[in-house]
Amino acid sequence: MGGGNDEVVVGGKDKEEEEQDGMSVHSPCKALPSSASSLSKEQSEVELELTLLEALEIYPPVKLRGIHRHFVLYGLMEYLGRSFDRQFTADEVLQLLDRFYNIEMLKSDDEDVDVLNHEEDFTLPQSYFEKEEE
Amino acid sequence: MGSSSKEDTASDGDTASGGASPSNDGRLFTEGERVLAYHGPRVYGAKAKLNLSRPLYVSLIQIQKVELRKKEWKYFVHYLGWNKNWDEWVSADRLLKHTEENLVKQKALDKKQGVEKGTKSGRSAQTKTRSSADTKAEKDDTKNNAAKGKKRKNESGNEKDNVSAEKLLKIQIPATLRKQLVDDWENVTQKDKVVKLPRSPTVDEILSKYLELKTKKDGMITDAVGEILKGIRCYFDKALPMMLLYKKERQQYQEAIVDDVSPSTVYGAEHLLRLFVKFPELFSYVNMEEETWNRMQQTLLDFLKFIQKNQSTFLLSPSAYESDKVVSDVKGKGKDE
Repeated sequence: MGGGNDEVVVGGKDKEEEEQDGMSVHSPCKALPSSASSLSKEQSEVELELTLLEALEIYPPVKLRGIHRHFVLYGLMEYLGRSFDRQFTADEVLQLLDRFYNIEMLKSDDEDVDVLNHEEDFTLPQSYFEKEEE
Repeated sequence: MGSSSKEDTASDGDTASGGASPSNDGRLFTEGERVLAYHGPRVYGAKAKLNLSRPLYVSLIQIQKVELRKKEWKYFVHYLGWNKNWDEWVSADRLLKHTEENLVKQKALDKKQGVEKGTKSGRSAQTKTRSSADTKAEKDDTKNNAAKGKKRKNESGNEKDNVSAEKLLKIQIPATLRKQLVDDWENVTQKDKVVKLPRSPTVDEILSKYLELKTKKDGMITDAVGEILKGIRCYFDKALPMMLLYKKERQQYQEAIVDDVSPSTVYGAEHLLRLFVKFPELFSYVNMEEETWNRMQQTLLDFLKFIQKNQSTFLLSPSAYESDKVVSDVKGKGKDE
């Protein structure tokens, strides 16, 4: 685990291989294949990670475990998309997250469990029974 | 003014209890109960600096503890979806029962501000909604308490910047689909009929069709759309047994959903529409930036229009519902036919 956290990993790592063992072993700052060794690329990786961490304040990782998972992921995609002015795919975001978290290991949010833990009958709100008036 | 403020006080009492039956000791809310809470920008102040959140000033909260302090009941509340650091003690006047009626109140309150501030997304459909919500709110007023109209004005004056969570999250369902929901209600609850299962197309198929259509048209942005559609599917599967069924449909559900079958591969657009009615309730647990929510809302509206366009193929006509044998056998056949 230790050691690598502060240094930016330089050079084209074999990304596929790293992805396979989940996370935890390697530095969170590992380089994406596209960002080889130039300093600016490293910086942009750091920026990317910082922005992601910033975004996690709105979209907590724990929410990725519950029923809201996809909407939270969508929120992250949009957040990063706006910050870097390009599109992010869901996979990209998940891979980024994977540098910091093992999502599978997160305990799902009590609150989320709570939302749908009591059965209630559907009722159509009263407003549906009133004529739309102009 | 004098007499009206008197009335206001009376209706304030009403509002605080929110139709609840307070226990003998004067406690209005119980531990574990989920209610709505007013709160000022204070709560979001720190976050707002970081531009992290949409400005919600009515939140869904959960009561953690109830204590009598200096002869007044105090409630320790947790803002659902927020860090525990924001938990705090409040008195009953900050809390509202989480009822349809109170949500309507909030919507009405919010609507007034909407008019003042101009709307979020200037769509003509929403203007229409607003006027119908308006009418609705006024009707409620006359029904419940004549003084409330006045009170509401005071409220919106005092809490000018308050914006209701549920209102912001509301999704405007097109008129013909609203009609469909009412027909659906009538068939199931009044005529003891049900939608025959499995439906064709299923919710899954409808979602796929929509994604296919968008992919052909727009290419890349479909990744975002795809995620939203997955979110809808996930909500649908989880919410169907918990909140999308009328009582009379429960038996049918037991028979139709066996093993690990996903409801989205069995049920169709009739039940999917109901999800959109419930959507604000579910989604209020998600924190999202306003800009992102606006975009997502556009997608949801576009999806609803897609259903509307295909209403005749996706949705059963009211006469195509089947009589529910189970229910009608017990209750006496076809009482409405």
